Amino acid sequence: MNIVVCVKHATDENELQNDELGKPRLNPAARKMATFDHNAVEAAVRIRDSKGGSITIVTLGDDDCKKTVKEALAMGGDRGLVILSNFNFDALMTSYYLAKAIQKIGDLDLILCSEGSSDTYVGFLGPMLAEWMNLPFIGYARDIEIREHTVKCEEQLEDRIETVTANLPAVISVVSEINEPRYTTLLQIIQASKKPIEEITLDSLKAPDFPYSQVEVIDVNAETMNRKRIIYEGSPEATVKMLIAALDSEAIMT
Amino acid sequence: MTTILAYSEKENLAGEIFIAAQELATQLGGEAALVQLDEAKPSVKVSGKIILLKANTPLSNNPELATTAITELAKKSDVKVILFGTTRFGRQLAAQTAVRMRLPALSDAKELKIEHGKLSGTRTVYGGKFSARICAPLPCIATVQSGSYQSDTGTSSSSVENIVVNVPQARAMHLETKHTSKGSANLSSARIIVSVGRGFKTKEDLAMAENLAKNMGAMIGCSRPLASDLGWLSEDQHIGLTGIHVHPKLYVAIGISGQLQHTAGIKNSKIIVAINNNKQAPIFQIADYGIIGDLYQVVPELTKLITSTPTSK
Repeated sequence: MNIVVCVKHATDENELQNDELGKPRLNPAARKMATFDHNAVEAAVRIRDSKGGSITIVTLGDDDCKKTVKEALAMGGDRGLVILSNFNFDALMTSYYLAKAIQKIGDLDLILCSEGSSDTYVGFLGPMLAEWMNLPFIGYARDIEIREHTVKCEEQLEDRIETVTANLPAVISVVSEINEPRYTTLLQIIQASKKPIEEITLDSLKAPDFPYSQVEVIDVNAETMNRKRIIYEGSPEATVKMLIAALDSEAIMT
Repeated sequence: MTTILAYSEKENLAGEIFIAAQELATQLGGEAALVQLDEAKPSVKVSGKIILLKANTPLSNNPELATTAITELAKKSDVKVILFGTTRFGRQLAAQTAVRMRLPALSDAKELKIEHGKLSGTRTVYGGKFSARICAPLPCIATVQSGSYQSDTGTSSSSVENIVVNVPQARAMHLETKHTSKGSANLSSARIIVSVGRGFKTKEDLAMAENLAKNMGAMIGCSRPLASDLGWLSEDQHIGLTGIHVHPKLYVAIGISGQLQHTAGIKNSKIIVAINNNKQAPIFQIADYGIIGDLYQVVPELTKLITSTPTSK
């Protein structure tokens, strides 16, 4: 089983603050592996450990994104592949370059990613990768069953579970309930630093059909949440009475 | 000429995005059409054109085949924008259509507009802390969040055009569909939502919240763990970043700590009420009214009193 996991070195949304104009302080905001990517790496490690093979962690980003690759290697990845870029692209262009880089690895059975990154949550990467590579796509998998030359998954959709099967190689995106990602030990982190990380340039992947990044971010502003924050503390009887009086004054129940 | 196509497998969302499509069509001086797959859905009533796509195999349960059918249709006409409802299924259609047609795609947009020949919209980023205005040149694709538009009530008549498409064998085969929804949960249009979180110790205890919801005329929602990890409620009741975005008049969060993952989906609520025993819970930071207390005492008390409040009738 040769597996690729696509990860994103994402802005840590929990740490991100805004400046006095309401703009995000992206520089130098803390970045880390996107939350749900841990589930994709964990799924890969479990499959590799039971079926053998190797795991390549692939990402696109600047030099700092190697931190996320190293974390994935500490979790159990075997090698890293970084497409170096100082620019952020839209999903169409990002997925194009990731697909081209993955195709260069060759001899693959499985390409995993998460349902979406925790910072921007666009959620297009998996299906776009599959289209560029002309491979089957299974999305929002909460269970992956590897068979001889096929894979069978349960897709967790909003109101239903779809059981889907496809020939390998296939692209699969996972939801967080598929597993509980492992924590890495100091030893694993030290060992990970010895694992190889290859760097490639965008230009080395460009083919005549490459798409331009056309989705543009015009403006980003802090969400203003002008909430009243009236908090009642005391006996259930007293606090509930106060709450109901407040809701009455808002005429919310009418 | 049809310039805007809209498709969602969810009936209420289909009505909503058709309104969005018509607004854009008016701006562009064209016509909007709602795409349906396999069979006409009589419950979806729109005042306008419906294009019904059929093939010799079902399209609507396989995103790959649905993508092929919609892409074939879009290629034949001079389409400027293709809208999909924001669902897990819809995101996949949008992403695959984008690659096949080499078109830019906006994800989970609201407030769509044509500006300077581009489609612009706003979307939530960084766990709901920020809102981004994004755009892409035409032609392009967008997934549209539910709750962004009023649903079309279909007051005037619609015309249906039938088109038969050829689709190849799908790469991924759908074997079985298991419906997990407990009813027709349509939280995105709910007026009042009672939402439950990890503070509930057992599934049986949710009956307290259900009683409260009944007395308030509310629908039940939940944070991610209750749907995904515990399976106490269905995934279409999961409110948050990766679930449904809601905008009720009143949102009552019970035993929900208020992580960004959850609050990203509730910030458009008019009034937020939080009930939590932890004074430090972040939910109180974004609540209008909060009760610090044991939900096992507060919820029954609230259930009892809210029925006897005249305005709640």
